[in-house]
Parts: sequence; C-alpha cells; structure tokens
Amino acid sequence: MNEDYLLNKRILLVDDEQELLDMVLSILIEYGFQNVKTAKNVKEAMEQAEKSRPELAILDVMLPDGNGFELMEQLKKGGDYPILFLTACEEDNDKFKGFGLGADDYIIKPFLPKELLFRVMAILRRSYKGEDPLVCLHDSQIDFSRAEVIKNDEHIPLTAKEHDLLSALYRNAGRIVTIDALCEAAWGDNPFGYENSLMAHIRRIREKIEQNPSHPVSLVTVKGLGYKLIIEGK
Amino acid sequence: MKSVPKLIRRFVGIMTLSIILLVILNITFFAIVFVRNTSTFSPWDMADHAAAALQLTDGGYSLSDNVMAKLKEENAWALLIDNDTRQVVWQTDNLPANIPMQYTLSDVAELTRGYVNGYPAFTGEAQTGLLVLGYPKDRFWKHTRASWDYNFIADLPKNTIIIFAINIVLILLIYAAVNSKLLRSIKPITNGIQNLSNGIPVYMKEKGVLSELAEKINKTSEILQMQSEQLRRKETARANWIAGVSHDVRTPLSMIMGYAGQLENSKNLSEIECKKAAAIVKQSSRMKDLINDLNLASKLEYDMQPLTMKQENAISIIRQVIVDFMNTNIDDKFPIKWITNDTLSACYINADKDLLKRAISNLIQNSINHNENGCAIYASVCDNNNTCKICIEDNGIGASDEQIDRLNNTPHYMICDTNTAEQRHGLGLLIVKQIIKGHNGEIFIDHSEYGGFKVVLIIPK
Repeated sequence: MNEDYLLNKRILLVDDEQELLDMVLSILIEYGFQNVKTAKNVKEAMEQAEKSRPELAILDVMLPDGNGFELMEQLKKGGDYPILFLTACEEDNDKFKGFGLGADDYIIKPFLPKELLFRVMAILRRSYKGEDPLVCLHDSQIDFSRAEVIKNDEHIPLTAKEHDLLSALYRNAGRIVTIDALCEAAWGDNPFGYENSLMAHIRRIREKIEQNPSHPVSLVTVKGLGYKLIIEGK
Repeated sequence: MKSVPKLIRRFVGIMTLSIILLVILNITFFAIVFVRNTSTFSPWDMADHAAAALQLTDGGYSLSDNVMAKLKEENAWALLIDNDTRQVVWQTDNLPANIPMQYTLSDVAELTRGYVNGYPAFTGEAQTGLLVLGYPKDRFWKHTRASWDYNFIADLPKNTIIIFAINIVLILLIYAAVNSKLLRSIKPITNGIQNLSNGIPVYMKEKGVLSELAEKINKTSEILQMQSEQLRRKETARANWIAGVSHDVRTPLSMIMGYAGQLENSKNLSEIECKKAAAIVKQSSRMKDLINDLNLASKLEYDMQPLTMKQENAISIIRQVIVDFMNTNIDDKFPIKWITNDTLSACYINADKDLLKRAISNLIQNSINHNENGCAIYASVCDNNNTCKICIEDNGIGASDEQIDRLNNTPHYMICDTNTAEQRHGLGLLIVKQIIKGHNGEIFIDHSEYGGFKVVLIIPK
C-alpha cells in the first residue's frame, strides 16, 4: 500500500543533545520523511512550531529551559497534533501510563531505529487515518474513511466492530496483535469472554477481504496468540 | 506481650504449690512432735492393765511385779476403791499423803474426768472396785469438759475445706494487690520491647520502680532508629546511584544503537560490514537489557519499586510478552510455541502487570541468550485451583544438575555480602525471583521435558 502521504507529514524533533538530534533526524530522513524540523530547547521549539505548524512532535523530556511535558502543553495550544516522547528516565514510565498527560506514546532510550519508526508510523496512521488513500491488501482494498472494502470492484460495507478490529490490526500492520488487544479494541476495557465473538468477526472480515477465506493471506492467525494484518507495499 | 500472662500463671502456680507444700510439711511436723511427746501407750490402757493385774489373794490385794515396776518407772501411784464401801482398800506404797482414803460418788465422777488433788488420775475396772492410777502433776494435761456440738463435728470436713479455700483466695488477692502495681509498671516496658522488635520508635516515661529500665529502652530505641535511618539512606543512595548511572548511559547507548541499526540495513555497505553492524546492535541491545535489569534489580532489592497489584489475566499478559518478542526481538531461530490449553482463556491473579511482563520477558530472553544456535521456546499457563502455574521452557542446551542446583540455591552477587568469586552473575533470573517473591509466589528451575531449561512460576490467585 502507499503510505507516502504519511511521509509528507511535518515533524518537529526536540532534544537538547545535538548528536542525538542528528541521529534521529538521519533515521527519519533515511526512512523517507521529508519535512523534519529540529529544535534544541523549549524556546526554539515554540518558534519552530509557529513557523512550520508540525503534524507530529517528538520531544525529549529533559530540556535545558523546561521539560517536555510543559512544552507539550504549550504546543497543544497551537494545534491538536500527536506527541511522542523520548526519555532516558525509566521512572517516567509511571507518568506515561495511560497517556494521561495527553502524550500519544513514549520510547525509553536507548532504542533501535526500527522501533522508533514503527511507533512514529503507528501514531501517524492512527492520527491521520481519515486522510489516507486506500489500504491495499493482497485481494482487496480497505477504505477506512468510508468504512468499506473494495474487492473485485465490489464495495462491501464494514460494520462498526469490523472497522474497529481492522483499524487496530492496521495500526500494527505486519505485527501480531493479541487476542486480548483486539477484544479490547472492539469491546473496551473488560474484554474477557469475547474470544468466540472475536473469532466470528474475524471470519466475517475474511469473507470480505480475502479471495479464499479458508486460506487467508492478508489476515493470518497466529495460533493461540492473535492475528496479523499483512498489507501490500512497504 | 504474650509472655506476661504466662509469667503471671507461672507465679500463681508456684505460689499455690508452695502453700500446699507448706500445709503438708506443717501437718507432718506436728504429727512427728505429737508422736514423740506421747508415751508408748496411753495412761488409760495402763489403768486397765493394772486393774486386770490386781489379784485378791488370802493375804489381801497384790499387783504383779512387772506392773509394779512399770508404775515405778513412770513415778505413778495406784489405789483401789471398794465398790460397796467406797473406802480405799489397797494402795501402792508411794501414795502421796494428801490423797483422801474415802470417796463419794461425785468424788469418783470428778477424778474419772480429771484430777485427784491436782494429780492427773486414770481409772480401770477391777474385780471388786475401781482402780485409780495417779501420775505426777506435770506428767499429763487432761481436758476435763470435752464435748462438742454434734453439727460442729459433722460439718468439720466441709468447713475445713472452705476455710482452706478462703485462705488460698485471700492469699491470691493479697498477691494480686501487691503485684498489680509492679505489673502496671512492667506493662509499658514489655510493650516497649515488643515495639522495638517491630522496629517502631519507642519513648517511655522514665519514672516509677523501673525507670532505669525505661531509660535504657528509650536509648536502645534511639540507637536502632538512627541505625535503620542510616541504612535506609545508604540503600537509597546506592539505588539512586545505580539509577543515575543507568540514566547517563542511556543517551550514548541510544547513539550506538541508532547508528548501528541504520548501518545494519545500509545498502551501501558490504555484507561483512552489515554483519559487524548487526553484532554491535545485538551487543548494545544486551547492554540495554543489562542496564534496565540492574536498575530494576536494585530498586526491587531496596524496596524502592512499589508493586501496584491488580486483578490481571495471566494468559493475556503472557500472550502479550510472547507477541512483543515475535514482533520485534527475535529471528526464526527462536520460534515461541504457545502450548496453553485452548479452552483456558483466562486465569486471574493479583499481580503487577508490568513487573510480571518483565519476569516472563526475562525468562524468554534467557533462553535466547543461552542458545546461540537457536531453540524452540514453549510457554504455557495452567489454572490450579488457588494458583496460576506459568511455565517457560526450551529445547536448547539446558543446564547440568549441578548448575540447576546452583541456580536454585546460591545467592546472587547483588544480595550476597561475602566475596563474589563463587556467586552467580547475570541479573535476569534474580529479577524474576525478586518479582515472584513480591507476588508471594514460588519459582522452580529444572530440566525441561523438551530437553532444555525450564522455569516454573507459581503465583497465588
């Protein structure tokens, strides 16, 4: 599938360590992001935010003239866009739990490039899902904005639950999503007891997206653990 | 303190026993004195004996020689009052001069009961009259009017027991009254000592009989508080130091991992160079795990990591850990097999989700780290009534009996205060043990039936 529209998103990267800034920048650019701006402190970040109107901010928690949480609050006044934190403090774990502060995700240093890229892409997919073109699967395409699947030129509508499940799988495209996480995505915080319903919904989704639902190639089962959505392209 | 009532019971027991012992001793002593001071046979028997021995012969009355000898020995005298005339018809030679020779009926009744002119008298029935035996004035004391109310005698055993019981109760009351004051002053001290042993700060008023003791306890409490405060500060400092170091290492390590990760997938490098970059990624990832482990182990060891326990589904937690591994960390050399029974979809336990995830993740990482050539990893959860059994095992190289024994029993260098040469290294299993301990669970390390290493965690529900 084509995720180029995500690579065009404007990203603001804030960290007080020049070398780390350079490294993260090089990871993002190498992956294909074209609009990445950097800042070394809160002041620069605010100036840059006004100029470039970012669509995603990656912030370090500890900054020389303030902290990332305060910066986030100020940035959010200028526009509602997702925030990803980078932190060297394991203790920040508790602060991020449940993302009560309004952060969308966080990564504890040190991290591998692929981990950073996965988180960035997942946040962007989630936040800008409405704008995306069709998601290409092996035998069909998903149009999340219209909540329908296009297979053999036929438009098949998705139910709300099927839409929720496919969204959760798509956010983690190429990765296994556990049964529990899928139940939670569809039925909320108390997902116990929905395993059978989940299986029924997965079967119906397969009927819509797969050419041969008995031998799925796009929505595959990982026995006992969960399901994986395989998208075409990147 | 539980021992105080025990102490009182013991005191009361000892006292009761002492009283009983004293009563027995007194009775014995009295009996011995009584027996010692009483002649071998009673004077009444002697009188009967003499009366029987008195013979009337042609020459008058005569007493056998041996009876006469006995009377002499006791310095006693004897006379015989005739039944008809009430005159003395026979007497021994040593009869005192002031003894009357004629008796009226009342005289006879009087002397039978008591004395003749101050001499204690005893009577025996002879053939023709009454034999009277007289002893020296200071030889016997006679109870002349011995008679008791019948009920008094009948109730004597009952009354004796009642009096005895009242005595005991009285003594106990006196004991309690005397000792209650002492006990009142002991109570704060026993409470103080108990609080000391629980690590609670103690301050007692330094007055009363035991003020010196109270003062010493106050001082001990101060010393203990000071020491535990110092220890706490040291431990906090150590944990903070470890946290600080691990924090400072994170940013440089990010650079290493970041660039090596980029190089690993670079299209401009040769295959050998990419492999070298991959090795850097792998080793720096291990360093990252080590830093995370070190920080967590020190926090768990010094109780600086509070456990937030909630009802969690163990199956969901372990499934997530396995999937996280499958999604990021490992290649095809380490397939993870979920062998939990399909019918079991939930096993709720009281757990700290993040820490339990960490424990399981450490066990899987352990299997990966120790099997360079790859191995299959098997994960399962069993619901055993009151516990949840989590099992992580592999079909890798495993460990020898000796190694397993050492893992189960040898202390880790982090929690051992002797030299570190013999101790275990690697923090993965230590953390698992600490976390499981925090969940009041148990950990068993063993051989796996798949041929490798096996760790079983038992966590109460």
